[in-house]
Amino acid sequence: MEKARPLWANPLQFVFACISYAVGLGNVWRFPYLCQMYGGGSFLVPYLVMLIVEGMPLLYLELAVGQRMRQGSIGAWKTISPYLGGVGLASVVVSFFLSMYYNIINAWAFWYLFHSFQDPLPWSVCPLNDNHTGYDEECEKASSTQYFWYRKTLNISPSIQDSGRVQWEPALCLVLAWLVVYLCVLRGTQSTGKVVYFTALLPYCVLIIYLVRGLTLHGATNGLAYMFTPKLEQLANPKAWINAATQIFFSLGLGFGSLIAFASYNEPSNNCQKHAVIVSLINSSTSIFASIVTFSIYGFKATFNYESCLNKVILLLTNSFDLEDGFLTTSNLEQVKDYLASTFPGKYSEVLPQMRNCSLQAELATAVQGTGLSFIVYTEAIKNMEVSQLWSVLYFFMLLMLGIGSMLGNTAAILTPLTDSKVVSSHLPKEAISGLVCLVNCVIGLVFTMESGNYWFDIFNDYAATLSLLLIVLVETIAVCYVYGLRRFESDLQAMTGRGLNWYWKAMWAGVSPLLIVSLFVFYLSDYILTGTLQYQAWDAFQGQLVTKDYPPYALAVIGLLVASSIMCIPLVALGTFITRCLKRGDTPPAA
Amino acid sequence: RISHVLLCNVTQRVSFWFVVTDPSKNHTLPAVEIQSAIRMNRNRINNAFFLNDQTLEFLKIPSTLAPPTDPSVPIWIIIFSVIFCIVIVAVMLLILSGIRQRRRKSKGPSEVDDTEDKCENMITIENGIPCDPLDTKGGHINDAFMTEDERLTPL
Repeated sequence: MEKARPLWANPLQFVFACISYAVGLGNVWRFPYLCQMYGGGSFLVPYLVMLIVEGMPLLYLELAVGQRMRQGSIGAWKTISPYLGGVGLASVVVSFFLSMYYNIINAWAFWYLFHSFQDPLPWSVCPLNDNHTGYDEECEKASSTQYFWYRKTLNISPSIQDSGRVQWEPALCLVLAWLVVYLCVLRGTQSTGKVVYFTALLPYCVLIIYLVRGLTLHGATNGLAYMFTPKLEQLANPKAWINAATQIFFSLGLGFGSLIAFASYNEPSNNCQKHAVIVSLINSSTSIFASIVTFSIYGFKATFNYESCLNKVILLLTNSFDLEDGFLTTSNLEQVKDYLASTFPGKYSEVLPQMRNCSLQAELATAVQGTGLSFIVYTEAIKNMEVSQLWSVLYFFMLLMLGIGSMLGNTAAILTPLTDSKVVSSHLPKEAISGLVCLVNCVIGLVFTMESGNYWFDIFNDYAATLSLLLIVLVETIAVCYVYGLRRFESDLQAMTGRGLNWYWKAMWAGVSPLLIVSLFVFYLSDYILTGTLQYQAWDAFQGQLVTKDYPPYALAVIGLLVASSIMCIPLVALGTFITRCLKRGDTPPAA
Repeated sequence: RISHVLLCNVTQRVSFWFVVTDPSKNHTLPAVEIQSAIRMNRNRINNAFFLNDQTLEFLKIPSTLAPPTDPSVPIWIIIFSVIFCIVIVAVMLLILSGIRQRRRKSKGPSEVDDTEDKCENMITIENGIPCDPLDTKGGHINDAFMTEDERLTPL
């Protein structure tokens, strides 16, 4: 008798698993950046439009396919059409690439978490130079948080060609991160189902605590006002709409096969339409919520830096002109400066080059995204708060929960097809398969702990998933609507859940969403072609800042390989199936 | 001795120049000696005024910055080891319990029926629909059929 497919213990676990997978680091460190770049409050308009037009329909499609076919991505697409098994295989390959590089972020989060239990925080002070008369040179030129990130955590090399050795400290943290992921996926849905309660809910607790703390910080309103003032002219900028579409697309994690895997463990009668709407709404509102928190922290940091700058100017003037202490304040600074310039012109012109121009707008305008936001900018804000150890621990714990939640989805996307296939699961038990996958990924992930590891991480982050996913989801939509047949799918869903398909979903699946994906695809391709050579940001230790460099040819080859290896699966498997079918038909002549 | 320290050039803000005289030799001590003396006793001078290196500055004497305290074992390794051990123990427990379950399953057919039964029970409960599970327990001997078989004597 066939073993019954493991199920989620209740529908809530499924919803939490989807939320925990979709709400990831991108909501925290990419959406606030996009919001800032593309018009603040007015970015919400393209974002919400894209959510309704693109996000919800595609999410519903994937969940419905998974729930209907009750198999992982490879099996599901093979059932839809034997020639389309390649789509599932491409999803698995992309998920494999993603899990290779994504867990290093969890390793970095562990590293920072472990270092948060010290007083003072190690990234708040610069280390001393050799004769103890001043601070380390690199740290002086950059800031202490940048120094801790680039030198102490990554020990980054000047360019991608200088590989350096594997750093044992991040390597240990990577091993720990993979052990934690293994612990969570070890027993399949049994263990994953319990873990997702934590990984879905705890980040919200931390975000709420941070919201309260952030809003009460001095200067938070500056950041919020800066972010949310709508710049309506950005609505006419096509890049805003494209970035909104891209953000929705990647934030929901479509095309990796994780959603299909999660939905395959559902009861057939589950109302996945309701769940799709809920998950996508929660994902977007979390993005907006996280950006409120981020911008209040930004505002605090910018105001703090602005006021320290002003205080330094005040101190400098007080010292040079022997003024009374307390005579110069931030409010009368400008008048006193004019007065001093007119009465003591000579001395003033001496002091002038040392005075920095302090500007709150300049501090706020520094927009950062990605690892730079979390590990450099946020840590700078945290070190200035009271009881900074507590806030630091909370923050990195939240990052860990978000990262591990997404990793669970990724590994599920790889493991479900493997455990579904008779070939593999008959030879090895479930625990051994998961262990093997985690081990292989961990060993390959050690590449990212080398001195040039961060540059390879950027390559994977930018190119491993972007183009391939767009193509995969496009083929998925076309497959369901035109190859399988939209009417046939609709009747399947009706039989399965007892509910019909609204005309809205049908219109989106058949027409609007594929068109949107094609336009995104065209835009990306033209962008890659127009920019010519691909470049990356390298850290220059002598200048203490990032410089732009070109990729060497072998790095370009790796990029091409990454993109090609997942996309090529689709036509190759289709061709292979076609050939094997022709051969079979040739071997067995039709019975007369 | 306080009388041997002479002040001059006092300004409105708390800053001044000073020289130290040596009464026996009747000249001022050279600056280098004073600087090294101050360097050695910086902490005591600061504490006398309840100040520190940031608030009491001696021009031309760079302060020797205190190196950050380096504990013998970096703190992060301690926390790392604790979490690492916990995770390893949890993984071992889960793997061992999985192996034990599988061994119990392969021990006998009655066990298999039990787990099958359990599976079916679980499914029916999880569906939320309380339907009576079909009687699939092993094989039930239906007396009516048995007597009929016995009546038909084999040839």
